[in-house]
Amino acid sequence: MGAYSIFKGFKVTFKNYFKKSVTLHYPIVKKPMTDRFRGMVDLKPPDCVICYQCIKICPTAALDLGHKVLEDNKTKNITKFTFNAELCCFCGLCEEICPTDAIFLNKMYEVSYFDHKDLLNIDLMSDHKYKNVDGGTS
Amino acid sequence: MIVILLKGVSVLGFIAFSAMFLIWLERKVSAKIQNRMGPMMTGFHGSLQPVADTIKLLLKEDIVPQGVDFITWWLAPFFVTVPVVMAFLVIPFSSKWIALDLNVGVLYICSVTSICVLGIFMAGWGSNNKYSLLGGMRSAAQIISYEVPLLLSVLLVVMQSGTMSMQGIVHAQEHCWFIFRPHLALAFIIYTIAATAECNRVPFDIPEAESELVAGYHTEYSGMKFAMFFVAEYTNMFIISAIATTLFFGGWQGPFLPGLVWFLLKSYGFVFFLMWMRWTLPRLRMDQMMSFAWKFLTPIALLNLLISGWFMVR
Repeated sequence: MGAYSIFKGFKVTFKNYFKKSVTLHYPIVKKPMTDRFRGMVDLKPPDCVICYQCIKICPTAALDLGHKVLEDNKTKNITKFTFNAELCCFCGLCEEICPTDAIFLNKMYEVSYFDHKDLLNIDLMSDHKYKNVDGGTS
Repeated sequence: MIVILLKGVSVLGFIAFSAMFLIWLERKVSAKIQNRMGPMMTGFHGSLQPVADTIKLLLKEDIVPQGVDFITWWLAPFFVTVPVVMAFLVIPFSSKWIALDLNVGVLYICSVTSICVLGIFMAGWGSNNKYSLLGGMRSAAQIISYEVPLLLSVLLVVMQSGTMSMQGIVHAQEHCWFIFRPHLALAFIIYTIAATAECNRVPFDIPEAESELVAGYHTEYSGMKFAMFFVAEYTNMFIISAIATTLFFGGWQGPFLPGLVWFLLKSYGFVFFLMWMRWTLPRLRMDQMMSFAWKFLTPIALLNLLISGWFMVR
């Protein structure tokens, strides 16, 4: 019985030798996150209607929005829309409350920064605020 | 003189290359068996990982713990490494590639590889560490116990071939490898188990069991001295595979390919089997290991020797 179990063990490890690995060769191959994964706060500026709902609902006051009204007294333009990643708790309430889905949480999970100051005032209006947003291959 | 020097240099070069290759192979084989990838970043599929490890070990601080028996502690790595290098003297890589074809080649190899146990015991005692001492004593007991069935199985090969010369044993297998004869197939199984224990490989690695003894007898070694133990272990693994190839698998003999290629294929195939065994089987307890050697393996080896010997002289 003991000898049989040894051969059975050998068979198991031999089969495993030829199976594909379950680990990924990170960072060359990256696994994309699931649909409901909550990464960093991101913005589609054209869709924002400057309703301030996200500012009001954010429990940690991580978002900061400023706007100006143009000479026609109707059109509003965003002057500043910054995000403090240190304060954010990634609850997703801003994404839930946004009426136009302008603000959302992207799929980025590589959220380390070399300098602490870079975390504090991330400019959401910029096109180049984040790298590796979709978590795919860089 | 120059020929002797060239042979010596080529053996040392082969040992260095072989040890580095085996370190890489061990990591890749263990990774594949465990469904992961192993080293991938340093060189193509991690092929330069052993080079990186060597450089790391060379640059590490050589710490001398307080209270060590200095001469014993300092000499131990040499007592482990030098006999393993000496054993390469009689390994027949091909019909022409043998450093020295001694007519007592088998006796020479068995004697020389037995010196390693001294080095392990010295490392255990000289380290001034109870875990090292336990590891050293366990290793000494293990190696001495498994020497008996090892030598009994090798003796059967010597009886069958009628010579102790390594080349002579290879030539005796011209018509049929010894592994295909039933009594020698049993001797091969005994040899494999005993040689695995001689090499302190799983399932017989209680002397250096990481989870039980920190690192056993080489706990207190760092830098180049640890590298010497490491290289000695992997080189010893190649030696026992080379001996198995020579004694049971026809050595360098084989069709089409050059003898050297066949020898290396067979030896590294056996090394792969040893690695496969390491990542499959659990570790034996010390009492299980000792009782297996004395109560099972030695009687079987003696019985095999007795019955085969009787058939040979009948």
